[in-house]
Amino acid sequence: MIWGLKKIIKYALGTDVAGRNLAVYPDDTFIVSYPRSGNTWTRFLIANLVHPDQPVTFANIERLIPDCEAMSSRYVKSVPRPRIIKSHEYFDPRYKKVIYIVRDPRDVALSYYDFSRKYRQIDDAYPLTSYVSDFVNGRLSSADWGTWGENVASWVHTRNGRAEFLLLRYEDMQVDAQRELDKVSRFLGIDPAPERLACAVERSSADRMRGMEKTQGDQWVATKNKRSDIPFVRTAKSGLWKEKLPATSIAEIESAWGPLMTALGYDLTSVIGDQRETGLSITARGTR
Amino acid sequence: MIRRLVAGSKRIFGMYRPKRDLQIWPDDVYLVSFPKSGNTWTRFLIANLAHPNETVGFENIHRLVPDPFVTWKRDFDRMSRPRIIKSHECFDPRYPRVMYIVRDPRDVVISQYHYHRKCNKIEDGYPMEKFVGRFLAGQTCPHGSWGENVTTWLTSRHNDPRFLLLRYEDMVADPHREMTRVAKFLGVPADGDRVANAVERSAADRMRKLERAQADKSSLTKDSRKELSFVRAAKSGGWRNELPDQFAARIEAKWGHVMTFLGYELATRDAASVEPELAAFLPSGPR
Repeated sequence: MIWGLKKIIKYALGTDVAGRNLAVYPDDTFIVSYPRSGNTWTRFLIANLVHPDQPVTFANIERLIPDCEAMSSRYVKSVPRPRIIKSHEYFDPRYKKVIYIVRDPRDVALSYYDFSRKYRQIDDAYPLTSYVSDFVNGRLSSADWGTWGENVASWVHTRNGRAEFLLLRYEDMQVDAQRELDKVSRFLGIDPAPERLACAVERSSADRMRGMEKTQGDQWVATKNKRSDIPFVRTAKSGLWKEKLPATSIAEIESAWGPLMTALGYDLTSVIGDQRETGLSITARGTR
Repeated sequence: MIRRLVAGSKRIFGMYRPKRDLQIWPDDVYLVSFPKSGNTWTRFLIANLAHPNETVGFENIHRLVPDPFVTWKRDFDRMSRPRIIKSHECFDPRYPRVMYIVRDPRDVVISQYHYHRKCNKIEDGYPMEKFVGRFLAGQTCPHGSWGENVTTWLTSRHNDPRFLLLRYEDMVADPHREMTRVAKFLGVPADGDRVANAVERSAADRMRKLERAQADKSSLTKDSRKELSFVRAAKSGGWRNELPDQFAARIEAKWGHVMTFLGYELATRDAASVEPELAAFLPSGPR
């Protein structure tokens, strides 16, 4: 009852977390991904691209590109339009313009493991193999966003190839951030001047973000009151799963999402049935 | 602020529609479909199957197979479990078990066209070309386009034991067989008489009669044109006579790969020309 009253008061004051109940405007753009897929880096890149006059920090990122799952509905409403909003939601038909970032789920699992320890959702002794099972079978505390496969499939199969949808791979951004940001800039209708892109990439470098996390970590909603001995900005590398993830865990992930991974260009180490041949390249799909 | 406070007070007494905030229990079963795909008929079938001693009609269907966007929160609280809940939403990972009804989009578009006339959303004679355009763009209802709604469910849950795929066309052809599958999925006794009774009580003729008698009492029909029936033809394949080829072609061009996967024969293009093959992306099955 008390809990119910608290919820009602929050609702009346507009301090409830926006989340799925967010009021969507037709001119909104969303940066969507499953957690731990490079969303925060992309947010910094895009915020630095859109607002070249003020360097983006953890202290002002929520003002520039609010997180609709961390901020209140009232706050997100107060952000000047057209808004760019960060989200981890599975397919929402109300999101018209979407930048979707995808990352190799084998790296996502490793990153998420550290994140869950940082957030004190699991303790350090919790075995990585059990964590990967939870990850694959939708038993993480973020299960309401779907599993990696559900989240990715729900967006990619409905929207890829459309003019209002931009699919980015974290791995491609790692290789050439400026090239990928050039795509974003055209997608958003921003002049893709090379100096401007280079400046945004420079201002969003992993080193710089790590430095800012150290000094501003207690000012940012996502890192406040979390373990400070585990960083939010981690290695900023791809392919670490090859050395860090046990073979059984790799096999578990690949058997759950093999066709989808193949379609996204993530090579499988284990051959599961004849799926290698049937996986078509999603990125090569034409505009429809 | 005042409006939000009034809404807040109503919430204390459960006098609101829980919508997406409905508390979901692990034993809930959802009956999901894109609108105009036989959801109401299936609701009647299931209500009659699960409650053989009640007379199922338009006035009590929202209590027997509730809809979180219509049924009040307090009615949900009073319901016995396991609940069977109606929904038109795209994929939602929180739904524990799902029966998904799919229908040929060429028939869906016609049914939705007539439904929009009934609800005064479009006038008689509204150009079909315009309607088909909006249908393809997902602008005829708030649940995504037909392709989006169907695809989000298939790519996430197909082959999963928590998921039962029903085709409206199969239900029309042999409701007894399909309802036996439903009964097994629900764990309800699937003996022949009980299923046959549910099928008979949910026949289109009977539903039309109930609709006429209860039209003013059900939110499904209350505020719409009474001379147009909510329970329409209850047939499949009507598009062959009613939908001009050029519109069927547009639907097949956009969703041919999903339609082929579901067994809906394409009339205006070669199935082999349709890319990409949806089956290639579906989850590998039970985990």
